[in-house]
Amino acid sequence: MPQLDDLTLEKELREIIAKITEIESERITLEARFIEDLGMDSMMALEILAAMEKKYKIRIPEDKLNKLANLNETIKLTKEYLKA
Amino acid sequence: MMNINEIEKVLPQRYPFLMLDRVTEIKPGVYIKAYKNVSINEEYFKGHFGETPIFPGALTAEAMAQAACILIKKSIPDLKATLFYITNAKMRFFKTVAPGDQLNISVKAIKMAHVGGVFETEASVDNKIVVKGEMAFACK
Repeated sequence: MPQLDDLTLEKELREIIAKITEIESERITLEARFIEDLGMDSMMALEILAAMEKKYKIRIPEDKLNKLANLNETIKLTKEYLKA
Repeated sequence: MMNINEIEKVLPQRYPFLMLDRVTEIKPGVYIKAYKNVSINEEYFKGHFGETPIFPGALTAEAMAQAACILIKKSIPDLKATLFYITNAKMRFFKTVAPGDQLNISVKAIKMAHVGGVFETEASVDNKIVVKGEMAFACK
């Protein structure tokens, strides 16, 4: 897969999150906390993880679920596995 | 591969809500295949729809969810969950299912974890797809 630039990755991940959670993408800022600010639950996080794996052809273990705290952390986690 | 007694050891659902008769194939972590023989003796046909009995689409979705429950329990042996709560389902229904049909279910795991699972699901009758979709449920 060609190298993804940070802005594209941010845009794509925001789209994935918005689609799964049905939250308006404008509300999904880099820092908005998924659970506390956006009202997400652990199953939405699992679905986001599954969608990330499918889109980027990566495998992220279950114990990383709690790393999906906000968009910023989600980008970091994706980049970590894209590099691996 | 799994008869009704073995299915009942894994699933909490019971008559009249056990929607699988047999599991024919299972590869833990990957996929499961199972079927239900649809019979006119089932109570709901009286109301769905009288002289035109049609197996409810919602019950096809339930059959697929039950197959997915078996898959997740066989894939994560230390999973203690006894209850399953559907959280998402996206399905396209292509054909109706009627008494006499054998509803063949095929479920592939997209992601499974202790909190729940995300699955690709398909059901067919006589090798023709009747329902296709994706579903997710939480385990408690």
